[in-house]
Amino acid sequence: MARPQWQLRAELGGAMAGAETALDAADMLCRACVDLLEVDGASISMVHEGANQGTFGSSGEMSRRLDEVQFTVGEGPCLDAVSGGGPVLVPDLGDPAERRWPAFTRAVLESGITAVFALPVAITTTCVGALDLFRGSTGPLNATSLAGGLLAAELASLPLLALMTADVDWEALGQGDDGWEQLASLERVEVYQATGMIIGALGVGSAEALVLLRAHAFSQGLTASELAWQVVGRHVLVDASGWRRAGDDDAGRRS
Amino acid sequence: MSGREKQVTEAFVAIATTLARGYDVVEMLNGLTGDCARLLDIASAGLLLADRRGVLHVLAASSERARELEVHQLQRDDGPCLDCFRDGAPVSVADLSAQEERWPAFVPAARAAGYRSVHAVPLRLQDTVLGAMGLFGAEVGPLNDDDLVLGQALADVASVALVQDRTATNATALSAQLQGALTSRVVLEQAKGVIAQQSGTDVDEAFDVLRGYARDHHQRLTDVARAVVARNLPARRLVDHARSKITRGPAATLEA
Repeated sequence: MARPQWQLRAELGGAMAGAETALDAADMLCRACVDLLEVDGASISMVHEGANQGTFGSSGEMSRRLDEVQFTVGEGPCLDAVSGGGPVLVPDLGDPAERRWPAFTRAVLESGITAVFALPVAITTTCVGALDLFRGSTGPLNATSLAGGLLAAELASLPLLALMTADVDWEALGQGDDGWEQLASLERVEVYQATGMIIGALGVGSAEALVLLRAHAFSQGLTASELAWQVVGRHVLVDASGWRRAGDDDAGRRS
Repeated sequence: MSGREKQVTEAFVAIATTLARGYDVVEMLNGLTGDCARLLDIASAGLLLADRRGVLHVLAASSERARELEVHQLQRDDGPCLDCFRDGAPVSVADLSAQEERWPAFVPAARAAGYRSVHAVPLRLQDTVLGAMGLFGAEVGPLNDDDLVLGQALADVASVALVQDRTATNATALSAQLQGALTSRVVLEQAKGVIAQQSGTDVDEAFDVLRGYARDHHQRLTDVARAVVARNLPARRLVDHARSKITRGPAATLEA
């Protein structure tokens, strides 16, 4: 029954293959979590300033509803995971000593769920949402399922990133079969440095900077890494009026 | 105490301090590679750390040449540091020119960078291999026994410092700790970008500006980097600080 770690990693990595939209991808990842992590429901929510907030992916209706409760009552493990930046694991929501989220707890227990595990989802260094895992039996997540959940939370950043990149659709971003390859293409020194330069130029947050880099790369037929090299090398410049190639105007090199 | 003994002691103290005082991981690992390059009979050192997916990343290096060589190993999936990580055991090569069949991509790249020998030591904590440190030599020849022992000992102490809670050896707690190191590295690279953009310099100069500011203000490198990226600390202030040091001379220290 227990899968080895490497197999879990591979199956999660391929969970979003063939998705047609970012929302589909998020749902597929949630369903994979239910299949692989010994939980009864999963959902992905976005909690980020300046962007839509809400539930974006779910393994089914119940999970979507439970995730949405947190936005309705303004409290819950998912919101705490995002604000704290770390997992919030609740193996027994019905424990009388559990007093953190009274309204959320009432709503969730009524639906038969007794354990909730909220894992933050980050884009570069900004926490933008959470992966919530729901279970009808009390008790902690076993080590393998927790490790798998953390892996799934990393992959969940991909559909959230696509959602933030407003006018670029999931398929157009060239989502391949392997989520890990997609992530690796963004986890490069030059991409981090280029997002820093965009942050410096535009005063945006780090998640927005990556969104902007990726969107412009796509519009130019480049990978994020290829554009990043050009940004770091100052062959491509960005400021409040947009992107341009160096030397395209009289402004020249920024001092 | 001889000069060398003093340096060795200082190297261990620096790592131990990270345990005692709460730490800046990236700074500690940069220090480790620099100390190894200085104390051992080698030219440069580079350090690879694995994330929770088992994917290796370059965390620190004592020189750009060493950093590029580590990146090269990862990109081409070929090299002694990779073998060292996978097997969890040291890999020693006294003469790289004899090993081209073993590492067809790595050997030419290493030689082009001016290295003739390599010794890779694993960073281990009990049964878990956290990463690998590459010790690159400019001459043919093995590392002497004392240097081997010292290199491994420094790596071992760094492994302990990387994982603050020694009782948390289960994979999840361990990976959460290491994730902190990797996140710090991301923030550091972003901060270099912010400073480079706003000062019109390149990212290497930006790193010097960042490090100088942190040191002179007795702040952790990662904390300063985080504040720069969050725009709580204007990059201008770091750049002005660096420029004021140039005009005042190397002996200048910060007034409030």
